[in-house]
Amino acid sequence: MNLLLALDPSSLWNGENGSTGLWIKIILALLVTSGGVFALARAPAQVRKPVIVAVTFLSGLYYVLFWLFPQPINRSTPSDAPRNMLEAASFWISDAQNIVANISNIIAGFLIGLGIYSLLRIHLRKIVKKQTDWGFSAVLVVSLVAMTLFGYWDWANRQSPAGGTIPFVPSSAWGFQQYARDLLFDGLLQQMDAGMFSVVAFYIMSAAYRAFRARSIEATILLITALIVMLSFMGVIQKPWDDFVAGTLAGGNKDSVLNGLKLSDTYTWIRGSIQTPAIRGIDFGVGVGLLAMGLRIWLSLEKTGGND
Amino acid sequence: MADELTKDVPKKSAGALLQSVPKNVLFGILFLFATFPLFLNIALPNKPLEESTAFYANLMKLPPNSKVLIASDWTNSTRGESGGEMEALLRILIRKQIKFGLYSTADPQAPQVARDVIARIAKEVADDGGPVYKPFTDYVVLGYFPNSEGTNLAVNNNVLTAFAGKKDLPEGGQQTDVMQSPVFTGVKSLADFKYFILVTASSTDKIIIERIKKTPMMFMVTGVMVPENVTYYASGQLKGLIGGVKGVYDLETLMEKGEPESQVASLPGTDKLKKNKMLKGTAYYPTLTICLFLLILFIFAGNIGMFFSRKEAK
Amino acid sequence: MNYALLKMGAGVLATVGLYSMLYRENKFYRFWEHVFLGLASGWALVALWTETLYSTWWTKMVGSHTDAGAPATRGYWAYAILVPISLLGYTVFSKKHNWLSRIPIGIILGLYSGQQLSAWQNRYLPQIMTSMKPIIPNGGLFKNSTTVPGTLTVSQALTNIIFLTTVLCVLSYFIFSVDVKSKLLKNTSTLGRYLLMIGFGAIFGSTVMMRFTLLIDRMYFIWIEFVQNGIVHAMTNR
Repeated sequence: MNLLLALDPSSLWNGENGSTGLWIKIILALLVTSGGVFALARAPAQVRKPVIVAVTFLSGLYYVLFWLFPQPINRSTPSDAPRNMLEAASFWISDAQNIVANISNIIAGFLIGLGIYSLLRIHLRKIVKKQTDWGFSAVLVVSLVAMTLFGYWDWANRQSPAGGTIPFVPSSAWGFQQYARDLLFDGLLQQMDAGMFSVVAFYIMSAAYRAFRARSIEATILLITALIVMLSFMGVIQKPWDDFVAGTLAGGNKDSVLNGLKLSDTYTWIRGSIQTPAIRGIDFGVGVGLLAMGLRIWLSLEKTGGND
Repeated sequence: MADELTKDVPKKSAGALLQSVPKNVLFGILFLFATFPLFLNIALPNKPLEESTAFYANLMKLPPNSKVLIASDWTNSTRGESGGEMEALLRILIRKQIKFGLYSTADPQAPQVARDVIARIAKEVADDGGPVYKPFTDYVVLGYFPNSEGTNLAVNNNVLTAFAGKKDLPEGGQQTDVMQSPVFTGVKSLADFKYFILVTASSTDKIIIERIKKTPMMFMVTGVMVPENVTYYASGQLKGLIGGVKGVYDLETLMEKGEPESQVASLPGTDKLKKNKMLKGTAYYPTLTICLFLLILFIFAGNIGMFFSRKEAK
Repeated sequence: MNYALLKMGAGVLATVGLYSMLYRENKFYRFWEHVFLGLASGWALVALWTETLYSTWWTKMVGSHTDAGAPATRGYWAYAILVPISLLGYTVFSKKHNWLSRIPIGIILGLYSGQQLSAWQNRYLPQIMTSMKPIIPNGGLFKNSTTVPGTLTVSQALTNIIFLTTVLCVLSYFIFSVDVKSKLLKNTSTLGRYLLMIGFGAIFGSTVMMRFTLLIDRMYFIWIEFVQNGIVHAMTNR
């Protein structure tokens, strides 16, 4: 069976894996784009803002068109060919969505490295110049290098033909690099991640004790609601009271109005009739603000700091 | 001489005393109250919330070999809640033999964290005589996507092209295209996944609500996200919601006892897990109740102190 | 030595190091803080390639050979164009050329903001629809087992009125773009502020639950998983 028959059809846009033709096209694309970037860097200052505005607008325009343009229907016809220009455009917009998502993931992926690059710059400078607490910076860099080294080593092992035999739980198939990666990731990073977030509990306790005072009407309402919510989490109070109401007060009658005195029913009513609409109102307010901000960013109406 | 030294120091009033417990004493008391109840076997009554019951019932009604898509957007920073949610979800999916695909858009650590939990729970269920879940055959991990907005829109638009080219590792095999996995067999669009389940501790809940339309959604969120997500459940945008450790405890209660009123069965193997203290919600909930009592006590103490101070000032 | 115990011990030591900050700032805490930052950044570097760029960019650009019976895929050279464009983000460190960094950021922001119109519709239209609740009763006073489904009782109608009032009053609080002179609007805005406090109280209660759970989880890890099930178990089973 010729597995190459299952490939995408050959075109100007693609090439066979490992072929010289493909690598030439890749290198040419890199050179041409880099050339364009260098030319842009030398462009006069008046060109800068229009370039950024155009890039932002065109990027946003795609998704606006994706939403507004008629969606293609009946694509299950054998040929999947558009019948007219309108359909051709809708097919193109729909098919391009995956490529646009890929582009955004790739650019975002490269930009994540920006934070790491910045971190390394600051701490390597501290080490080289032996500034205050440079020892801690050395600890950071050593941890970073160790995690990167063992992370890639472990990944490279799993890419090999025998990679599937390496489980994700400790086993005899594990080598030193698997243990090291597991110790650094699961043993240290994950536990410290959890530890960092849990420290806030102590500060919440301290802050609630010192600052949570019923000094005004608003503060009193907030305090009472918070107490009701916290009490609703306590089944040890809720269950005996609810049983008392259902059994003694309502006499076992499910239709009795007195069943409304149950803590669970009261809390459900407060949550459904006051809490939910209040939060819905906050959400609307935030949503309208986000919509306005989205439009302003798309149309580059936002004034920014820095060079223009 | 000691009397002279303390002679001019004014005595603190009751109100001031109540409002001036030192920070370290507070921290110490919280530390103790968060620790000791963990060693005790305290059984607390629990009435699951409506949204938790809906979540459990929806999953339990799925036939075997159904498929769900999971977005796992949590890391160990919220292990206490999200970890318990994920474990409960996986126990249900594995026991019910529901296949799943899993991806992340919130944190680069998330896929590895999810893999570790899946491997552990799969082993636990298999050791207990339940279904043996194999990577690639019964579930696939689809990786991390840094751009959450674009990815989730792509997933809704065409789930096959969104995950095209992604590879996962079958047991004993090598990196293989996920489209060859039985998880994607017969899948033409997102609608072929019975549910989209999000386990998150970040803002991906809003991103997904805005973009996923082709299949019903159910969320498992941390406590702080519950009030906002309840509005989505109330409007019908979500078919089930598990919120915080209360949600985890609800789910474990339902896994243990079922929901007789809706004729939903309990989940096999839960009794043994409870006996061996492997249910996170059940382990944490009594301690949480005691810590909340403590907080309420201190808030009352502070307010009573303020009230007394005001009276004394008058 | 038992690897699982060693791994848990390392985690406990790191957790105690981070908690030492609660007493006061100290070098032990700062050491573990820097270890944490280093490990998190290192893992981000690993996941960046292994989870994202390798499959989303590299294999799409260079293609792949056959594996496990799957056909080879062709490489699409146009993906190479994204490299210089993405790397423009790093010009933010240059004093002369930092404007170029706004190009990849503009692409990301443009894509995000273009989605906001449809995103807003999907998120809020169902909520607006379900906020329109009926307020005119056509049934008895309270709901009971004999109530015909679809009937709106007086108690339910009152609940719906409270619901609508809450939404409208809270929304009226957010009118900042015009000067509120009308007495009705001022009063509804004040009522909206009080009702907002109910929402915030709910958020506070839920936040407390979450943070305490995270703390309890750490205590469980240290005392139950490590001390009780780890050390004590290992010592008693020697």
